[in-house]
Amino acid sequence: MKNPVMPASGTFGAGREYSEFIDLNCLGALVVKTVTLRPRDGNAPPRLYEVSSGMLNSIGLQNEGIDHFIEHDLPYLRQFDVPIIINIAGNTLEEYAQLCREIKGVEGISGIELNISCPNIKAGGIAFGASSRLAEQVTAAARYNTDLPLIVKLTPNVYNVSKIAQAVVYGGANAVSLINTLVGMSIDTNTFKPHLGNITGGLSGPAIKPVAVRMVWEVAQTVKVPIIGIGGINSTLDAIEFLLAGATAVAIGTANFVNPRVMIEIIDGIESFLRQRNMSDIRQIIGKVKV
Amino acid sequence: MFQVNADVIAKEEVIPGVFSLTIVSPVISENAKPGQFVHIACNQGGNFILRRPFSIHRIVPGKAFEILFRVVGRGTEALSRVKVYDILDVIGPLGNGFKYSERITSALLVAGGLGLAPLLYLAEELTNEQVKFYPMLGAQTKTKLLRYIDFKRIGKKTYVATDDGSSGHNGTVADLLNRTIHYIRPEIIYACGPEPMLRKVAQTADEFGVKCQVSLETKMACGVGVCLGCACVTRQGYKMVCKDGPVFDARDIIWDKEEIEPTLLGGYRCETAKVSDPG
Repeated sequence: MKNPVMPASGTFGAGREYSEFIDLNCLGALVVKTVTLRPRDGNAPPRLYEVSSGMLNSIGLQNEGIDHFIEHDLPYLRQFDVPIIINIAGNTLEEYAQLCREIKGVEGISGIELNISCPNIKAGGIAFGASSRLAEQVTAAARYNTDLPLIVKLTPNVYNVSKIAQAVVYGGANAVSLINTLVGMSIDTNTFKPHLGNITGGLSGPAIKPVAVRMVWEVAQTVKVPIIGIGGINSTLDAIEFLLAGATAVAIGTANFVNPRVMIEIIDGIESFLRQRNMSDIRQIIGKVKV
Repeated sequence: MFQVNADVIAKEEVIPGVFSLTIVSPVISENAKPGQFVHIACNQGGNFILRRPFSIHRIVPGKAFEILFRVVGRGTEALSRVKVYDILDVIGPLGNGFKYSERITSALLVAGGLGLAPLLYLAEELTNEQVKFYPMLGAQTKTKLLRYIDFKRIGKKTYVATDDGSSGHNGTVADLLNRTIHYIRPEIIYACGPEPMLRKVAQTADEFGVKCQVSLETKMACGVGVCLGCACVTRQGYKMVCKDGPVFDARDIIWDKEEIEPTLLGGYRCETAKVSDPG
């Protein structure tokens, strides 16, 4: 990786749209939107609602399925000199395993991120991420079916995130990424109806950053594998906070929607942050929070 | 699409609570088409974060574009406090606009309230193409009837409806359309306004066999087709208002939530079909 900055899954599609705004070759890695075994149409609208310092979404993993991804998106992504991380989700353990098998030997994929934390689908998703037993099982199932580096994306909607992190490491994860969105809800006081068609949705944006930093810090105390810190990162200093808490890399989500150039600004920003402090290696700040 | 830091060179409070901003951007004004929109960062650093989409209202060719908006929430409220010479972070032009050509014999432009914003731009382009068109403007009351003079200047005949009857037809613009479509007999209708109005306009157009394009409005996050948040339901499944629209063929839109296929309510596509299909 050239640098520790990548998009968070689902906020960058497969790169096409934002390639008009930034040079994708500059990214540390490119995490694509969740791919499932078969196409999903997603949830009924309205699918998003902005709240104070954040947004709720209930997209429902709309995507065209793994075959379409391999045929149409991957050839496009292969032209860039950037590690491609495919994010996958299934309804069942077997679907995660099968997705890993489908990816086997496919050229141009550098890693797999297991989405076991989507709050917006009826089956699978968060169910796997909320139980350490299931989280370990699904990771092991994926591990058994792939030789690629395996990242597991964790949900904050649990009491003890470290326990889940530990479980997925036992299951064979090479890294963890956290946090996915927090389940939230918002109600229209005129109509008495929820603002989202799916009633509840995932909260993202600056509002969740302190929760994310705390969870990254907790997990960093517990597991040895690299952590990708995610949650409301909007600026260089937000990213630095995550690194100090113990993340080795960061992923930018909602902020991409606000400013398509934000990742480039953060990549440059981290570099000048280190330079200003006469630091030559990012490891000089990773996990260096003074507590 | 481009992301630019653009100067505001003119601001006007057209009527209380409704503002127009003229924003300098040669690259956006050169590439824009009627019905397209711009996505503006209204308050970076405040307690709301997302950009707000605005139809392009008018173009100063090669130089600038104008937006017209009513203050309805935090985003528009912040934008209404922008001053001349302030700089705005703008992404645009975005989306697919109205489809038209010089071969159209006559067009009817139906605007509900601020729905007139993209239609004035369209009207000016239709004038350039020498297409005959009729503006039909709806407002709550005479004083809220905006850009009447501008439409009247270039339109064949301008129809007006006000909810309180203070000008033109006493009733809604959709109602006026229903009463007049049989003698205006347009080849195509272009409509923009609140959803209940668009729905009625689409119904009327369908009844009289007139082609109709509607410009939809939804909440958006990215504005460029990435987040898949601004879905609308069409006969071809979910479409994104920002990227596939905001202008759609009215016949493609499914207006009744009850008509949404169960396969579109989460889960895998055709899951239900597969269960019932023995093959």
